[in-house]
Amino acid sequence: MDVTLFLQQLVNGLTLGSLFALIAVGYTVVYGIIQLINFAHGEIFMVGAFGALSTWIVIGRAQITAWWMLPLMILGAMGVAVLTALVMERLAYRPLRNAPRLAPLITAIGISVFLQEVVRLFYGLIPGFPDAKAPVPFPAVQGVSGGALDLGGVVLQRAAIFTLVALVVSWTFLYFFVNRTRIGRAMQATSQDPDTARLMGIDVDRIIMVAFALGAALAALAGIAHGLQYTNIDFRMGFLAGLKAFTAAVLGGIGNINGAVVGGLLLGLVEVMATAYIPGTFGGSAWKDVWAFALLILVLVFRPQGLLGAKVVDRA
Amino acid sequence: MRLNPVTPELQQRHRRTGWLLALVGAVLLIGSPYLPWAWSDDALDDMTYLFGPSPTQFLGLALGAVLLVCLLAPRLLARVLAGRRARWFAFADGAKAAALGALVFVAVVVVGIAVELGGLVNVRYGGWIALVAALLAVAGTMLLPRDRPATLGGVRSPGWLVISTIAVVMLVTLLLVAYALDEDDPVIFVALLAFVAGVVAVLLKLGVGPWFSSQTARHRGVLVASAFLVAFAFPFTQDGSEANMSIATQVLIFAATALGLNIVVGLAGLLDLGYIAFLGAGAFVAAILSGSAFSAVGWNPPFIVTVLISGVVASLLGLIIGSPTLRVSGDYLAIVTLAFGEIFRLVMINLDGSDGPDLTNGSNGIPGVPDLDLLGFDFGEPHVLLGVEIGRFANYYFLLLLVIALIMVVFANLNRSRIGRGWVAIREDEKAAEAMGVNVFGLKLFAFAGGAFLAGVAGAVRAHHDISVTPDQYIFLESAFLLAAVVLGGMGTIVGVLLGAVLLRLMPEKLRFVDEYRLLIFGALLVLMMRFRPEGLVASRRRQLEFHEDDEELADKVDPTVTRAEGAR
Amino acid sequence: MSTEQHEVQFATAPEGAVLLEARGVTMRFGGLLAVNAVDMSVRSGEIVGLIGPNGAGKTTFFNCLTGLYRPTGGQVSFAGRPLPPRPRKVVQAGMARTFQNIRLFQNMTALENVMVGRYCRTSAGPLTSIVRGPKFRREEAATRARAQELLGFVGIPEAGESLARNLSYGDQRRLEIARALATDPQLLLLDEPTAGMNPQETRQAEELIFRIRDSGLAVVVIEHDMRFIFNLCDRVLCLVQGEVLVQGTPEQVQSDPRVIEAYIGTSDEGETGDA
Repeated sequence: MDVTLFLQQLVNGLTLGSLFALIAVGYTVVYGIIQLINFAHGEIFMVGAFGALSTWIVIGRAQITAWWMLPLMILGAMGVAVLTALVMERLAYRPLRNAPRLAPLITAIGISVFLQEVVRLFYGLIPGFPDAKAPVPFPAVQGVSGGALDLGGVVLQRAAIFTLVALVVSWTFLYFFVNRTRIGRAMQATSQDPDTARLMGIDVDRIIMVAFALGAALAALAGIAHGLQYTNIDFRMGFLAGLKAFTAAVLGGIGNINGAVVGGLLLGLVEVMATAYIPGTFGGSAWKDVWAFALLILVLVFRPQGLLGAKVVDRA
Repeated sequence: MRLNPVTPELQQRHRRTGWLLALVGAVLLIGSPYLPWAWSDDALDDMTYLFGPSPTQFLGLALGAVLLVCLLAPRLLARVLAGRRARWFAFADGAKAAALGALVFVAVVVVGIAVELGGLVNVRYGGWIALVAALLAVAGTMLLPRDRPATLGGVRSPGWLVISTIAVVMLVTLLLVAYALDEDDPVIFVALLAFVAGVVAVLLKLGVGPWFSSQTARHRGVLVASAFLVAFAFPFTQDGSEANMSIATQVLIFAATALGLNIVVGLAGLLDLGYIAFLGAGAFVAAILSGSAFSAVGWNPPFIVTVLISGVVASLLGLIIGSPTLRVSGDYLAIVTLAFGEIFRLVMINLDGSDGPDLTNGSNGIPGVPDLDLLGFDFGEPHVLLGVEIGRFANYYFLLLLVIALIMVVFANLNRSRIGRGWVAIREDEKAAEAMGVNVFGLKLFAFAGGAFLAGVAGAVRAHHDISVTPDQYIFLESAFLLAAVVLGGMGTIVGVLLGAVLLRLMPEKLRFVDEYRLLIFGALLVLMMRFRPEGLVASRRRQLEFHEDDEELADKVDPTVTRAEGAR
Repeated sequence: MSTEQHEVQFATAPEGAVLLEARGVTMRFGGLLAVNAVDMSVRSGEIVGLIGPNGAGKTTFFNCLTGLYRPTGGQVSFAGRPLPPRPRKVVQAGMARTFQNIRLFQNMTALENVMVGRYCRTSAGPLTSIVRGPKFRREEAATRARAQELLGFVGIPEAGESLARNLSYGDQRRLEIARALATDPQLLLLDEPTAGMNPQETRQAEELIFRIRDSGLAVVVIEHDMRFIFNLCDRVLCLVQGEVLVQGTPEQVQSDPRVIEAYIGTSDEGETGDA
């Protein structure tokens, strides 16, 4: 077996996996608190990417590619994504808290389609913005775009470094946020028992909003990472990425932040390795999504609590 | 808390003023069509004449007349509607609906004139008078006190009256559908919809709607038979024109599939987000066995056999997709079905001979599916029946009517059986159902497999109707669309889902300017429906209860024993 | 409330035959031993009481018997045959239950609730249901008639058309019993049938359970109301911390100092939440 090739696949898998992990955290945080699968989360990722592009167009006047554009774009992306997520939570999900579980899921599909269409139809109408009906080129930024690094035969794209660093930073931040801050501990309490948390004076509505905002911010980061890696973005990109990230969240154990990260990395590795190493006609990129979805089904059926999740006892 | 207590005298004064205002509005509404509404006849139909109302303007007149009747009837018919009959009709509520309907209608027309001719200056005084009249009517009826609910729904009427009412309703429906489909102007189409919605709202509020539904329940056979008769008669109103028949067949395919999905979602309560895959499986099987030059299989059995194979293949897929229900439920099940749906589409793309075995011709799909030939009847050829030419689409239309009838029978009969009760029990409390001996897994699996079989059958017809079958016809969005039809119309009802399917498929066809925003509207619609009316336009009683668990008033309202006790009071 | 007696026939096992035989039933949740090696046998025509402080494992034991939980140890057999831990098989074998926190199908009518109970004793399949032939109609009519009969038996004959959620609390408990009876059980498990009832309702429930016993069925009752249980039962088991502390006639159990101690002395130890 070719070691260099294997290392290359490992790097590719981890990069792809980091992208999944960043999005997956959003599913997991929200699910952990209100047991809602926010099916429209993939769209937040897409909106984040477009937010970054818009920031570049408005502030960078569509030409500045200096490194300092990056933090501005991150802020812009997060702002747009968080705002979208909060509006969505307030207007669509909150009124359905006590509805049968069918209701929020159908709502989520509606939001998902709605957000895609809003971007597709109206993004290009804003003066100076490109038409978003076809894939839109994503700006290159100094430092995270351009020339790849060569580590003894293993090629490492700069954008991939950005993705990996973004994941590590976010993960560390989340760890401290959840375990060391007041709001973080309130989140843990709410996910254990929302009713008791409410009685203890925790503003559950606010905690839920924080969860949506956190997930959206990380998804926005993923949106930028996606744009830098693939050099263009598309109003459709949220659907598949969202589904894959959901797979990652379930794989790791939905509701568990570490699980989402581990699940994301694992899914990225599986997908890349399967493409590279499954021989014959069923290998190759044409089948990689099939394997990812098959993995999703297998996990949901045989280990719905995921790799790091605890088994839930169903009481009569 | 109210700052100004409404004294009886004040209420009386309000009622007087309101009634007068509304009366003025109604009279003006009736009169306004005789005035010119537009400067040019380029918009809508010709609304430029003095004393020459156009058909569209007549609709406004009709709404005004309905309003007038609602306002005057309590006084004119006081003698007839005395005593117990006094509460038969809710005239004030009817008037409110009529006024609101008229306002929407006039607004649509005025905005339509402005849009089509370029600016509000193109609206002439007649249009403005109509608008003011409608506003007056709305303001006036708002001042009228609310009626107590009409009691006409509880009145038992002789059979001949009910049956002739059914006949009239069906005839009107047929004419209306034929008329609406022939209408090319999108604004008139919307105005017509507003008119129909207004009239239906008036009938519902007035008490006639409840009466119709309670009385026709006793003559269900007649109702269903006449509905089919009307559907059967529809092609004869088209005079050989294929344009509308093509839309009609698409609506029927969509409706048939939505009804099948309704068994899974509406009855068994399982959210299936990959349902379109079953339609696709049926279509692909039929295309592969059709003898198309692009099919990888040479065998070409008669269509009856193909249909059965399509259904069986689809239901086998259904069994596979349904098997996780043993272990997963709720949201997870929905995701599993979604993933299966995507896998189906990807596999259909990949079985192209280069990425996998050759079966489906990849993303190009299988074109050149020949027309059906059933017992020597060639679906591709026009036939003359009763002096009317029945074209290719009309042929498929009749076949699809049969398919829909089959699905409806399956749906209705399962719903009223031991199996249907088991499904409701599972929806209510799965653990308790299991503990009472209901075969939960078996029933869920059956819902998946049965629903898939019906979709497979519809898919087989669709393959021949569409001539070509490609994987991109069976994307997730289509599943979501089907779900939207079920949700919009009303989970667990037949009429509702038919209505939902017709609305969702017909609107984009008739309203071309909407086409671009079709998905946007559809996404917003799903969100709004879940927020404000999750039980759908036509609510199934049980679903309504489920979606409003804490609504005690509703529970009392639909409870026959409570209602009866109140009636006795 | 109707006071007239409705005579109803039940299929029963011969008087005195052993119906339920539980041997060493054990249920462990992780580190928690909820039920530990409990033995119990019930004969037909017998009323057995199951008492114990909160958290003693009574309901968990019920769940093990009825297949809602798969016991981690021990064996349950019914009428001489081992019972698979699957709720549906248990019902088919002839054992039905009610729930501590009422679990009716709230949005179905009372009659429909009972008709669901008939599910396992009827056979109309998909094709029969779609075609609606004479056989289907006969079965459907019989199901309806039996359900109505059972509503009468439990004393709510006029409630058939009411939604379950609109019934009074006491009537909901009766309806749950009717639904369980519809499965043609030989043994009925009642989980706190008088919880939340006033004394008069409790007396009516007592009378109903006697009538069920007199029809030849065996009954196992979980209760907290001691007077109720000692009036009613032929035999009483006292469960404490997942184990059988005492077992015997009501008099024996009532006077046993360990039982009194379990309830008064150390009752706070067992408060681990009895679900």
